[in-house]
Amino acid sequence: MSEMKNIKNLKEFSTSADRFEGANLLCPGCAHSIIVREVLNATNDDLVLSASTGCLEVCTAVYPYTSWDASWIHIGFENGSTAVAGAETMYKALKKKGRLKQPERTPKFVSFAGDGASYDIGFQWISGCMERGHNIMHVVLDNEVYANTGGQRSSSTPIGSSATTSPEGKKSYGEKINKKDMMTIMAAHGIPYAAQVSPNKWKDMVKKIQHGFAVEGPVFINAVSPCTTEWKFDPKDTMHIADLATDSLVFPLYEIINGQELNITYRPKNVVPVEEYLAAQGRFKHLFKDEYKYLIKEWQERVDSNWAYLQRREEARV
Amino acid sequence: MAFDKMELKDIEVWDGNFAAAQAMRQSQVDVVAAYPITPSTPIVEGYAKFLADGYIEGEFVMVESEHAAMSACIGAAAAGGRVATATSSQGLALMSETLYQASGMRLPIVLNLVNRALASPLNVNGDHSDMYMIRDSGWIQFDAFCSQEAYDLNFIAFKVSEDHDIRLPAIVNQDGFMTSHTAQGVKTLSDDAAYGFVGEYKPMNDMLDFEHPVTHGVQTEEDWHFEHKARQHNDLMTKVMPKIQSVFKDFEKLTGRKYNPVEKYNMDDADVCVVCLGTSVETAREVASDMRAKGIKAGVIGLRVIRPFPFFEIAEALKNVKAIAALDRSSPNGAAGMLFNEIAGALFNTDTKALLSGYIYGLGGRDLTKAHLVALFNELQANADAGKVTTKLQQFIGVRGPKLAFL
Amino acid sequence: MAKKGWDEFEIGAMLRTFDGKIDNIAATQQEDRAYSQSSSYTASVADWRLIKPVFNKDYCIDCQFCWIYCPDVSIISRDKKLIGVDMDHCKGCGICVEVCPTNPKSLLMFSEQADEESVIANWPKKDEEEA
Repeated sequence: MSEMKNIKNLKEFSTSADRFEGANLLCPGCAHSIIVREVLNATNDDLVLSASTGCLEVCTAVYPYTSWDASWIHIGFENGSTAVAGAETMYKALKKKGRLKQPERTPKFVSFAGDGASYDIGFQWISGCMERGHNIMHVVLDNEVYANTGGQRSSSTPIGSSATTSPEGKKSYGEKINKKDMMTIMAAHGIPYAAQVSPNKWKDMVKKIQHGFAVEGPVFINAVSPCTTEWKFDPKDTMHIADLATDSLVFPLYEIINGQELNITYRPKNVVPVEEYLAAQGRFKHLFKDEYKYLIKEWQERVDSNWAYLQRREEARV
Repeated sequence: MAFDKMELKDIEVWDGNFAAAQAMRQSQVDVVAAYPITPSTPIVEGYAKFLADGYIEGEFVMVESEHAAMSACIGAAAAGGRVATATSSQGLALMSETLYQASGMRLPIVLNLVNRALASPLNVNGDHSDMYMIRDSGWIQFDAFCSQEAYDLNFIAFKVSEDHDIRLPAIVNQDGFMTSHTAQGVKTLSDDAAYGFVGEYKPMNDMLDFEHPVTHGVQTEEDWHFEHKARQHNDLMTKVMPKIQSVFKDFEKLTGRKYNPVEKYNMDDADVCVVCLGTSVETAREVASDMRAKGIKAGVIGLRVIRPFPFFEIAEALKNVKAIAALDRSSPNGAAGMLFNEIAGALFNTDTKALLSGYIYGLGGRDLTKAHLVALFNELQANADAGKVTTKLQQFIGVRGPKLAFL
Repeated sequence: MAKKGWDEFEIGAMLRTFDGKIDNIAATQQEDRAYSQSSSYTASVADWRLIKPVFNKDYCIDCQFCWIYCPDVSIISRDKKLIGVDMDHCKGCGICVEVCPTNPKSLLMFSEQADEESVIANWPKKDEEEA
């Protein structure tokens, strides 16, 4: 196995030579590229990457430009995980046959996809990749909405959010269905590693990505990706929103090892009320009308209950 | 290399599926990603078994759908190695999105397509609906009429597809059950001769070359898309057929078995002729011989290459024929039929006075009998004698109920 | 990149990031790489920007928060020191300013037309309330 990159602190991390380029077409303040940089810079190994159709893909490989400094492939909306699994399979075959051009290298295979491409249309493909044990990492850039097509709800869209296909209106508070618990589903495949990460907690992220690269077998990473356009906040506030997401415990940071051992990896010193997280985003603005305030209370209860559940699992080592 | 060679008899009794599996073994395919579907399943089962027995050094991935099968094949091909799979019917329909992506990315992949009807109603038997459905997907398409050809055309497909001037995926068609499950004598190549013919895979734009990173599967909008599609079409129109011809010649040198884009039978002086695909070609050849005994100068054309369509070769082959029947084994659902249309297109603007009529037959594996073909040749002779098509332009044959004829 | 005719580019719309071979990329900084014309590194999004960050090194403690949280690979850090902002790739989102912990901040947003020398000369003083 390759040597793990030594990243003790941010200064050391900042000596990384990025393998993702600017002048891509992502919105100013987009968290996707922050996450991508943190993932790619966590290793010095060679990379074979894929992206499923979505914001990241359409903004980083628009002919005649590519923003990728490592080999990269996009096929369709649903199959980015399988694309990179195919490449990983070829790597195994050529390794066995002694036909690799640079046999000493230890490439990492990473698939990036949005929540639409992971929770919805690519669900089966990802499940297949996880079940078959490919040595790949699937990273969800979870912005809880189909941002690339203009803000339609996905199965990651949380209750009360206003999406273009579940808009708030005179008779509706927006999305009615709870966000799908993808982490639990993926961990239930018995994969060696599943983790939820957030770009503001870069150290937690890097540690988890490095753990993911070190294990043999499929790894699932769910990264919260605050979306300035669809969550409706000022582009400068991306990291502030990410802070609110992790510190309100709306996005708790944890990992599940071998599908059986849950560890909470970040415990905010001062837990922020969920209300603050919601209030910072235009997509929840309508919840602050008198008739919907009960939903904010329910939100808090749901977050509390989930946090309690994660803690129970952690304590019970399950 | 760490795999065992297999001693084959000069002639083995193989069905079309096993013949294709053997060709995949002898080509030493690096990665097969596949999903089972009748009647193509035994091909990939064969590869898996060869792998389990140590006759191949490669990787087999049994994925969760045909869409994933072709997706993994695309990833594997882009990574840089020899890739093949097999499917049929609904499986092809499910993977059809990715077929356009494979060809657009110019990735050499060989797909054994064991032709089967498309639902609904559900049917597992052979017709050409699946082959027709993806005919504009940018893949090269070969057609085998029997097991021997399914075996031979696999080698030819790898060699054409992987050539750096071509770099387009290729389909080898064979008829579901009629070829895939019918054991016949197949003249074999030795493992060394077969691999020597196909040659070692030569990577190009391979993702696993870490010193030359590549981006595959970009987005092109109105300012670039047309040029890329035009390039692909240009290469299919100008480069593929000459390459196929030269690989056919090489294969003939090695085996003595001669293939042609348009396979002609008794065509030199034919007045009437049938153009068809798959196992029907062999039936039609038998009947054409019988018709000769009855004084009808009958010939048969079987298409060995469906894409790129052998436009000039077929026009040349048909130029002196008086009456032609295009046999389409797929319901055109509101049009004239693929072969009818393509042949009409090839003959239009030429000096031919040939009469062209179309027949829809054999859907869902319904037999095309010799009696059907006798009647058909007689009809063609009547057309030739009358100097006009005496029937409707499109007729259904072998279907129960009142006669169906249109146009 | 000039618009090419259908016969002038690589098949499959494949793009290469670099001209020739790249060795040990993870240890090679951008300025030492031979980017091809296909890499967006060679392109500019400067015209997206309405406001721009100005870096005042007098207050910078090289914490690298701006480097890690920049979505556009536009904070140039070398040898653990922030040396400037890549104005071809900065889209002016302002995240770097938000995450800057110094007082006064070492990065501030100004209008795209602002003169760098004069804004640095007039840099705000330490904000006692925030301290």
